[in-house]
Amino acid sequence: MTAVLEVRGGSKSFPGVKAMDDVTVQIGRNEVVGLIGENGAGKSTLLKVITGIYQLDEGELIVNGQQLALASPRDAFDHGVAMVFQEQSVLSTLSIAENIFLGREQEFLRFGLIDKKRMNSAARDELAKVRLDLDPAKRTADLTFAERQMVEIAKALSLDSRIDGEVIILLDEPTSVLEQREIDILFEIIEDLKQRASILFISHRLDEVLAVSDRVYVMRDGKVVHEVKADAAELHDLHQHMVGRQLDHRYYREQRQRTAGERVILEVGGLGKEGQFDDVSFQLHEGEILGIAGVVGSGREALARCLAGLEPADHGEITVDNQPTRISAPYQAVGAGIGFVPSERKVEGIVAALDVAENMSLAAKGRFLRRGLIDFAAERETAMAWVDRLGIKTPSIRTPGGSLSGGNQQKVVLAKWRIADSGVMILDHPTRGIDVGAKEEVYELIRDMAEEGLGVLLLADTLEEVIGLSSRILVMKDGRVSKAFEAPVGGKPEQVDLIEAMV
Amino acid sequence: MMPAVVKDQLPLIVLLLLVLVVSSIDSGFMAPGNLLVVTADTMTLFLMAAGATFVIMTGGIDLSIQAVASMTSCIVAALLPKLGFTAVPITLLAGAVFGVMNGLVTTKLRIPSFVATLAVSGVATSVAFLVSDARSVLIAAADRDAYLAWAVGDLGPLQNEILVGLVVLIGLTLLYQFTTFGRFIRAIGSQEQAVIASGIHADRIKILAFILSGTMAGLAGVVMAGRLGSGSPTLANEFLLPAIACIIVGGTAITGGVGSVWRTFIGALIIAVVRIGMTFIGVSVFAQQIVFGLILVAAVAITMDRSKVATVK
Repeated sequence: MTAVLEVRGGSKSFPGVKAMDDVTVQIGRNEVVGLIGENGAGKSTLLKVITGIYQLDEGELIVNGQQLALASPRDAFDHGVAMVFQEQSVLSTLSIAENIFLGREQEFLRFGLIDKKRMNSAARDELAKVRLDLDPAKRTADLTFAERQMVEIAKALSLDSRIDGEVIILLDEPTSVLEQREIDILFEIIEDLKQRASILFISHRLDEVLAVSDRVYVMRDGKVVHEVKADAAELHDLHQHMVGRQLDHRYYREQRQRTAGERVILEVGGLGKEGQFDDVSFQLHEGEILGIAGVVGSGREALARCLAGLEPADHGEITVDNQPTRISAPYQAVGAGIGFVPSERKVEGIVAALDVAENMSLAAKGRFLRRGLIDFAAERETAMAWVDRLGIKTPSIRTPGGSLSGGNQQKVVLAKWRIADSGVMILDHPTRGIDVGAKEEVYELIRDMAEEGLGVLLLADTLEEVIGLSSRILVMKDGRVSKAFEAPVGGKPEQVDLIEAMV
Repeated sequence: MMPAVVKDQLPLIVLLLLVLVVSSIDSGFMAPGNLLVVTADTMTLFLMAAGATFVIMTGGIDLSIQAVASMTSCIVAALLPKLGFTAVPITLLAGAVFGVMNGLVTTKLRIPSFVATLAVSGVATSVAFLVSDARSVLIAAADRDAYLAWAVGDLGPLQNEILVGLVVLIGLTLLYQFTTFGRFIRAIGSQEQAVIASGIHADRIKILAFILSGTMAGLAGVVMAGRLGSGSPTLANEFLLPAIACIIVGGTAITGGVGSVWRTFIGALIIAVVRIGMTFIGVSVFAQQIVFGLILVAAVAITMDRSKVATVK
């Protein structure tokens, strides 16, 4: 096999995390290679290395036989590596043709001006390659989501007319926003594309990966742990490799799992948001850890954000502690006792310029006020107690929140809601981007909350995590709750069961 | 990289160096009486900048302070003969109203404060022309002595401007240091989304900051009118650039999250000493804005947090 792209012994570290550890992958000429792994397995780091966003700490990147140090996505593009982004990078105010030839306008110059006619006709040729019959002069804002994705693929493919070597196209979760019909078209196109390009296909839908790929790599904990020809691969086998170790009950503190109480502290009835989720109903009891599983686009993130007031829901009821509650802004959610630990910790979690104690008391309303002024002594005392209780590693409570490590920042955010006395905790990927040791501490804290009678709504990072921690699990698919699983100690559902309900 | 402590105290160090430089050219500069005069002369600039400091700390800006100060100088001059001392609180209220306008346009219509306050400053200028009939409005000496002595008189060796400035400095510093309002101002400037997610009415805090800024610009207008014995729709012209400059020179970041009123006080003194130095070595008053422009650019470049600004437009 001639490899058109190869990463040889590649490693990449970030503070506290080794995101890629001695990774070797090859993409052959006219081959479709699948890449699977759970969140945090190192897939996106590998992608970013291949597209020049990150540079390897160790190891080599070889493209079309050349060892390269790609400096930027533009650099990668010039070497034949084109990425089709999950979040689309099509510029909506430009036409289809202008998007396809963005940065290559000089090829269409006549007397120093762009020859639109020639550009449009060239664009038409590119669109034909992806079987798209659209007017190239159309603004991309007027296209459907799927059409825009196709335009992006056409743009990636347009590379082959200008570079010597092979074009390598990276598809990162391309199906997550597509309808089944569009997915079928995409797969046909990928079959076509194989004649002209090599493809790296990343998806969390294993069946899709097996359907389109010739060969599959499985990544876990920053390493490539398995490689198999697609026609010889077993679904169950791949799952095992993705998850790796046999489940260790102690890892998720299952010995501390308790049966949920009777009292309902949050009830959601027929909640819906246009285009995101619909008809979601459930009850959250005191002491319960309710996991919500689902793929990207299942609507679970939007659901969590609606309950936190960060986005308004369109219809449905929310009842907190038997009180019908209107939640259309965060202050209403906070007022009702709902705390939200966001997946984007640096955006909606920690305030970098505030110190640890100030961050902790941010949601505490008047608790640290005396005659309208901040009661610094009381604040200090509470902050010290929580730093101690959660084992937060910080030089002092007056250290800026922004200078703590990810895991410690997360604990500060958790402490903020505990101090605000929130009865409901929404944890949106609470262990994302923090190292293994800190993860286990966060698991302990989640168990603490349940023991103290809080209701926890958990959007976990991995299936293993949601199964290990939750006492009950709702699976969401296409915006609706597709199935519910009881998850008592000793009677936990299998990952395969959840996946079946997810896809 | 300079040590953190040096960087933190850089404005103070710069001020002391400038004082040394200027006093080496002009031996009379260091005389206690002269220093007090210089400080008193600086206070109107400080008053204008003190309130706007809060807006800048949230990551916004208030470009209407100059127009509001001019406007309030006209209002207080026009009202003093009729209302006596009551004219002063009413004038401050007018400044506050323009702060409310700035705040509402910024937060409710979601228009960047840069544009919102520029537009509102046009309104303030027009009001000033209407109130004053496009002329200077004289304040009778008797009215001034009766109702504005608190701002322009003397208390022993101290000019009252200095006392007003100190009261504002202390008052706003307490507000900034010891209330949740001050803390939220800083938090909003650092990471507004996290503040909102914590259940805080960030918009209200921002509107309050604009009100504070408008009120302080109003106070600056009153004190200016008292000093000059008249109000005028162009009274505070050429003050905007130095006012923003002294906030930033003091070490408050234009990107928000970092700063204090005390820093603005130091910044105002720096601007004053630079102005005096320039006058002394014969730089034309008309050329001085060039220097303030350059100082502003340099100070912004040093203090701004570039990680917050992905693209500059």
